[in-house]
Amino acid sequence: MEELKYVLVFGLLHSSTYLAFSLGFSLILGVAKIPNLAYGALYVLSGYVAYELLTAVGLPFYTAAGLAVALTGVASLLIGEATIRPALKNPVGVFITTMSVAYILEEYFKMSMGLKPVTLPLLPGTVSVAGVPVSNQWILVASVSLAMTLALVLFLRRTGTGIAIRAVAESWEESLRLSINPLRVLRVTLLVTGLYAGMTGVLLSPLKALTPSAGWTPLFAAFAVVVLGGVGSIVGTAIASLIYGLVEQAVTFTLGSGLAKVVPLLLIVSVLLLRPHGIMGRGE
Amino acid sequence: MFARASITKRALRLLHGLLATAVLLLLPLLGLRGYWLDVITRVNIFLLLTLSLDLYSGTTFYLNLGIPFIAGSAAYTLALLNVYQKIPLELAIAPAVGVAILLSFLIFLPSLRVRGIYFSILSLLLPVIAVGIVTSQPFSLYLGGEGGLSYPALLYSYARSLPARERLPFLQLSYFYISAAVAIAAYVLTYKLAYSDLGFAMRAIGQDEVLAESAGIDTFKVKVVSFLASSTLAAVAGALYAAMRPPLTVDILVPANTLVPPLTAVVVGGMGSIVGPAIANYMLLIAYELLWDFVGRWRTVIFMALLIAMVVSKPQGVIFSLYLRVKSYLTTKLKSLKPR
Repeated sequence: MEELKYVLVFGLLHSSTYLAFSLGFSLILGVAKIPNLAYGALYVLSGYVAYELLTAVGLPFYTAAGLAVALTGVASLLIGEATIRPALKNPVGVFITTMSVAYILEEYFKMSMGLKPVTLPLLPGTVSVAGVPVSNQWILVASVSLAMTLALVLFLRRTGTGIAIRAVAESWEESLRLSINPLRVLRVTLLVTGLYAGMTGVLLSPLKALTPSAGWTPLFAAFAVVVLGGVGSIVGTAIASLIYGLVEQAVTFTLGSGLAKVVPLLLIVSVLLLRPHGIMGRGE
Repeated sequence: MFARASITKRALRLLHGLLATAVLLLLPLLGLRGYWLDVITRVNIFLLLTLSLDLYSGTTFYLNLGIPFIAGSAAYTLALLNVYQKIPLELAIAPAVGVAILLSFLIFLPSLRVRGIYFSILSLLLPVIAVGIVTSQPFSLYLGGEGGLSYPALLYSYARSLPARERLPFLQLSYFYISAAVAIAAYVLTYKLAYSDLGFAMRAIGQDEVLAESAGIDTFKVKVVSFLASSTLAAVAGALYAAMRPPLTVDILVPANTLVPPLTAVVVGGMGSIVGPAIANYMLLIAYELLWDFVGRWRTVIFMALLIAMVVSKPQGVIFSLYLRVKSYLTTKLKSLKPR
């Protein structure tokens, strides 16, 4: 019973970050119809930049974090301009170019930061949630993640740019007829997804140690969540993040953290084989 | 379909085939020893991965990123058969390849119906899952985990009867010849397959699957057959690699090691042409070794940047078009030599 409580509390906390992180990934997948494999590397980039600004430059934490997030947004835009836009008509190509960016960044981090894991400072103190002690950092992570999700929903529903993004995700050609500039929309999307990856990076790096290859695990989680939920469906993504977070924590508490990375992916592969377009997704 | 190749062209094809074979087999006699012999052996084995990727993904445009999974399952089956069942490596290669093909086929069979990027996503998840399984408890206890599974290398029982000083050169030379023979055979078979009626059907799927279907091609059957051929190549590569280079570690399953080099070769060589990727495989992987002396760890960054530049500026690859140019030049030369 005690364990179940832990699984539920930590499952929900993890789900919230998966939701915010996956929505960014889902956005670019919807608009450009390609998975941005460099998305995980952006998460790591943001963490390392914040770490460097904090330790080497000596900036206060919130300034360092804010700068790191902004820089990650710009990096995402530049990476997209250099590797996604020129190869838009070539999905195999984008797979390769974004994967290459991810490996370039990883190799660069290995050379500049070394293999030793680093962490950002943790928010001190704990609170008790339903009898389970939870670090304040987790409370911060969960509330910011939910705020980010809400902000994205409002952005996509209420603003002109947001509606343009949805139009382009629906159909690139049709949106041209509505005098929307899809390339501008793509740039906005790249910037927004970069900010989301960056935010998750600075929020989670105090909790999960940062290594040069740390980006792959959240990337594959986002991958799995988005595909499971159905591309473009926010409700589907929310359900999928819940499933992913809960299953992951259940496996962590019963079988150990090694398998916790694997079992949810296995689950997702089996669901996908039955429903190739995800829970809430539509066929093409 | 394709017009029957002219006598000149066929003679030319035979000629450079023989030439390449001769060069490859004569390398040790030309004084190649030690480290570089090892390098060429490894590049020979990587040729199988490149061919595997090009045969399926280059023609049908279904990007199968699960190559490390197929190679890795053959490698681990081989090692497990040897370590736990005491089956000699020489005898374990065939069952290991068989198990890997069966395993990948069972997993991929349902996903072969999945279209578009979902197939690539699924295929990329497989090696990631496999790495997770191999490195986590309780499986890591049996699979060696990060430290790897140790066992005596292929042909080691023969090498043991030699004086200690001759053992390593003997093994290096035998591995080289085995890998060269397998590489040549694999190249010839893949080439024949890719330019047969089946290869034509595969290309049709790559162009437009719906159209191919309405033209009477049983696309699912074509995909299954070509997928089987492609995974056989990857499985053989995995088994050979594991047999020659114990201890077997999780490295074989990591896409950076066993997916990126073949992918680079396929893209730079020209997807689907078999010839281009094969040439690119040797050029790039040998260059990759040489680069170490000049730029050290920056070589990965340089390679990846090259790959991006390639996809962005010349998505059709360079080696194959260069090859076609050289070939047409030689053909006109040969024709002008012919008595009128």
